Amino acid sequence: MGSLKRKSPEEETPTPAPTSNIQYDCLHEVSYPHGYVPASSSTTSDSSSQTKEPAKKFPFTLDPFQSQAITCLENSESVMVSAHTSAGKTVVALYAIAMSLRDGQRVIYTSPIKALSNQKYREFKEEFSDVGLMTGDVTIDPNASCLVMTTEIWRSMQYKGSEVTREVAWIIFDEVHYMRDRERGVVWEESIVMSPKNARFVFLSATVPNAKEFADWVAKVHQQPCHIVYTDYRPTPLQHYIFPSGSEGLYLVVDEKGKFREDSFHKALNALVPAADGDRKKDNAKWQKGLVLGKAAEESDIFKMVKMIIQRQYDPVILFSFSKRECEFLAMQMAKMDLNGDTEKDNIEKIFWCAMDMLSDDDKKLPQVSNMLPLLKRGIGVHHSGLLPILKEVIEILFQEGLIKCLFATETFSIGLNMPAKTVVFTNVRKFDGDKFRWLTSGEYIQMSGRAGRRGIDDRGVCILMIDEKMEPSTAKSMVKGAADSLNSAFHLSYNMILNQMRCEDGDPENLLRNSFFQFQADRAIPDLEKQIKAFEEERESIVIEEEDSLKDYYNLLEQLRSLNKDVRDIVLSPRHCLPFLQPGRLVSIQCTSNDEELSPIFIEDQLTWGLIISFERIKGVSEDDANIKPEDASYKVDVLTRCVVRKDKLGKKSYEIVPLKEHGEPIVVSIPISQINTITGLRLYMPKDLLPLEARENTLKKIIETLTRFKEKGLPHLDPEEDMKIQSSSYKKASRRIEALERLFEKHEIAKSPLIKEKLKVFQRKQELTAKIKSIKRTLSSTTTLAFKDELKARKRVLRRLGYATNDNVVDLKGKVACEISSADELTLTELMFNGVFKDIKVEEMISLLSCFVWREKINDAAKPREELDMLYSQLQDTARRVAQLQLECKVQIDVDTFVKSFRPDIMEVVYAWAKGSKFYEIMEITKVFEGSLIRSIRRLEEVLQQLIEAAKSIGETELEAKFEEAVSKIKRDIVFAASLYL
Amino acid sequence: MRGIQLQLSQTQKLRLQKALEQLESLSSKVNSDASVTIADSISVNHEDGVLKGHGTADLDGEVVATLCGVVERVNKLVYVRALRSRYKPEVGDIVIGRVIEVAQKRWRLDINYSQNAYLMLSAMNMPDGVQRRRTALDELNMRCIFEEADVICAEVRGFQHDGLHLQARSKKYGKLTTGQLITVHTVFSEETKTTFPSSSTVWAANAVRVLSTLGFVITLEIIQGVIDLSLSVNLDIHDMLGSEFCVLVAENEAERRSSTKKRR
Repeated sequence: MGSLKRKSPEEETPTPAPTSNIQYDCLHEVSYPHGYVPASSSTTSDSSSQTKEPAKKFPFTLDPFQSQAITCLENSESVMVSAHTSAGKTVVALYAIAMSLRDGQRVIYTSPIKALSNQKYREFKEEFSDVGLMTGDVTIDPNASCLVMTTEIWRSMQYKGSEVTREVAWIIFDEVHYMRDRERGVVWEESIVMSPKNARFVFLSATVPNAKEFADWVAKVHQQPCHIVYTDYRPTPLQHYIFPSGSEGLYLVVDEKGKFREDSFHKALNALVPAADGDRKKDNAKWQKGLVLGKAAEESDIFKMVKMIIQRQYDPVILFSFSKRECEFLAMQMAKMDLNGDTEKDNIEKIFWCAMDMLSDDDKKLPQVSNMLPLLKRGIGVHHSGLLPILKEVIEILFQEGLIKCLFATETFSIGLNMPAKTVVFTNVRKFDGDKFRWLTSGEYIQMSGRAGRRGIDDRGVCILMIDEKMEPSTAKSMVKGAADSLNSAFHLSYNMILNQMRCEDGDPENLLRNSFFQFQADRAIPDLEKQIKAFEEERESIVIEEEDSLKDYYNLLEQLRSLNKDVRDIVLSPRHCLPFLQPGRLVSIQCTSNDEELSPIFIEDQLTWGLIISFERIKGVSEDDANIKPEDASYKVDVLTRCVVRKDKLGKKSYEIVPLKEHGEPIVVSIPISQINTITGLRLYMPKDLLPLEARENTLKKIIETLTRFKEKGLPHLDPEEDMKIQSSSYKKASRRIEALERLFEKHEIAKSPLIKEKLKVFQRKQELTAKIKSIKRTLSSTTTLAFKDELKARKRVLRRLGYATNDNVVDLKGKVACEISSADELTLTELMFNGVFKDIKVEEMISLLSCFVWREKINDAAKPREELDMLYSQLQDTARRVAQLQLECKVQIDVDTFVKSFRPDIMEVVYAWAKGSKFYEIMEITKVFEGSLIRSIRRLEEVLQQLIEAAKSIGETELEAKFEEAVSKIKRDIVFAASLYL
Repeated sequence: MRGIQLQLSQTQKLRLQKALEQLESLSSKVNSDASVTIADSISVNHEDGVLKGHGTADLDGEVVATLCGVVERVNKLVYVRALRSRYKPEVGDIVIGRVIEVAQKRWRLDINYSQNAYLMLSAMNMPDGVQRRRTALDELNMRCIFEEADVICAEVRGFQHDGLHLQARSKKYGKLTTGQLITVHTVFSEETKTTFPSSSTVWAANAVRVLSTLGFVITLEIIQGVIDLSLSVNLDIHDMLGSEFCVLVAENEAERRSSTKKRR
């Protein structure tokens, strides 16, 4: 959709300064397979490319990287193009398609997402006409020369040996960096490894630093040269700003030349600190109920932000957040804003109802549909996976037409078709990745910020990072200025994959493993590791120590003492015991930041300093049910005033280093974990209320030093664990007794009196560490030289044999043939259910409802329990799943039985049951709280599973069951859930 | 004795009988009660529920066999594997077929199945190894690749809407030029994961003949064994089909199976 229109002729006028040309030059390299002779091909291809007419002429001058890539295509050699989203990679794909059509070859274009495939289909169809589309949902003209499909479809076509595999000359993998996706990444590896040997590839990827490695792999697996064209070029340069929460302005941190502005970066962070302090309580409240109520009373940050953007004419703007709920919540805060004129409103309404026309009248009344229009008319949009697919597409279209000025989107919007805005805002810098909240990686940041700046319209794109958390400056900086994520393999095995490989006539799962990118990356590390071992060993040999034995003895004693001391400290400093004593003004001794981490401190005393406690705070937990954790179990951060040295490394990364009080440095309040406190004294000092002025802090530190000198002779009054802190645990008593015993041993030790003992010990410790390092490297080395996943493959094959899916000779058996067909759900559990006859006796609706457990993965907290019949079925499913998991465990497949069983969720059983019974969509939405889009996606996926089950039933000759599955499909495949995409 | 037609001397008869008995005793325990004839009822536990597969039917609440054969059970699925049946192709099988027609974009092959199989022009690699769409010219030249009565080896790809389709994914499939084609009954073949013997010589052919006379399962391993045996006793090809060699093979096979059995 109109992604080409950005290439208007004006932009070709050489506006950029000549310097930029040099900067934007692309990198071109070639990977040759081992023993390949490139000479002949280059000479012949040169002559041929001169004679041949270019397959496609573009109405604009190509960027260097584009023409470079196209030259490779004309030489009929594979190419990997790594560039930013907006740089214009599509040109390369278009040329490859045009070239294949010219030469009468087939070409396949695969993308990671169905929606993207739909959009690309439309784009190519307008351009070339001989184009077909195959996704799980639709198939259009499968005999066309150019086929657009999802990568999963391409994989299964290869397993089935579709004739396309023998006619395809060019395979285009778009967004190939998806290969690092934990769940689906493996599909790319399978597809690439199994691709026909004579085919050529076009890989389009975001910027990845290890593009060369990827190309080397392709060259090796397919024995053909693979070119790499890499460019950092952005057609519109970016400016990065920081918006500290609660502040009034933006701070430019990276200008359009890519220069990091240290000074304004610090200004931004300073603007944040007081705001964050005052905001803390509010912040907590927001977590709990803010999402529902909203902060209507005051103008929220986001409102201010949008207002500012509109005032400065930075619109259109995309505001990224990382959850669907947050996205909606933020959009609700824009209630007072109206960004569109009357004519625009009319247009929006017209487009909107045109699109909604394909829905039934009942569906048009869905709350999501009717609530969306007023919002859209004001120029505000929401885009996330919870929306009805049709709404999502309307919003995309409106956005492309410029009718939406302000779009709240989730990360999914950053992948795929060219839908740029002038400005991109990150409303949050942390993201939940399935296990925990983490900072955005620089790669994700790059991907999303790539949406900023419209080519040919804006002279620069604007990127705004909203920081509202306590964020280490270094983290912020590495996010904004960091490198792209490298492309790493996320290979893993599945039973479906193993069975399909076994069934392939010359397929051997081990072949796949051997050719995988995972193995390639592991192999590549070997020489490096060997070199490391050698270096370490040499270093170890060079260290000579006299009296090594007694030194070793002494060292071991010290080690023991240290670990005991640590035990004691852990007990004393456990939040349960020490929290009452962490009052402001308490004098504590803390450990200095050790700058050479390699030598772990045996001599703690050397590295202690003193500080005053200001406050302590709980670290925000992972999940929202944080409140349930008892105060004792949570982890805490203590703010301490002490002397620090502020350092900046080469990247300008700021780091605070705690140093002894008497050294040079600034008095600064730093946050440290409790474990960094060494001892808590019985003293509390008076502290000025306002610590902001430097003087006040300096004076306080002076006071500390004074106190210390006063107590020098007597020693500071430490809090006694037993008397003052009332610690009565037996482990504490035991540890303290052993410490006493050890200390007596020390006195007897001769070597302790040696004058150079400390130096000697340090040397000895270094030696010990080297030995340990060598050992660990050797371990990784031995695990990489053997085939990765070999053990797991063995274990999984064992499971397949035990369950009767395959025979001892690795021949796929009846059950295996069923499992071969099932790729969209857990193949083992589903096959077992089928062979246990569970589907046989139950009604079609119940069966559909049961199958919904296989496709629903989201967690709903207070979902109603399904009715009794359904619940019985669900427990049957759980039993089967548990058996399957248990057997896998017995066969030494690493699996957590409970998590596996719980991964089948009954939350939408009731809803899907109602849908299968023929309820209207608005009716089923009333009985559940899930997002419309999520539900639709699940039902579509359910239909996919049913189609696979039909195939499976056919292959074992179960006609009754086959008919039942067919009936099930007809029951669920209707109305809005299967409404066709607007792009088709 | 399964109607073996050989001219045997008295001692040969005795030896053969002994060898066959030994073989039978080895396999008899496995599924003696599982063999059924038509209308035999198959005992199932109805409480657990059953899935009725091929060769079974429901008769007054009882599961009965509709075929003569062996009852096989997979979890709750019950089906009867027929003793004698026509070959039924499964995805991934390697089959040999004879071209009976060169049609549009496809060859029609007889593979001894109830239908003819199709090998599409696009389902095999072009002789020059180039990946491209097939043109009209390629279609006209199809006879240069295979013509009527050629014997072709290919892999079963699966059932499409218009029939059974084959494919030839790699170079080792294609026209079989030397050797002879022997048709063997399906019952004797067994699913294994082996590659097809590319060197079909008279030796192998005769070996297969010997085995099928004896009614043994034919696998590549056993064929190889028979050939080795004939070489070790320095036998002429023509004598391979003689009665003495048959008896020898039977004895050898009995010994081999009992030894593998012991090892387990």
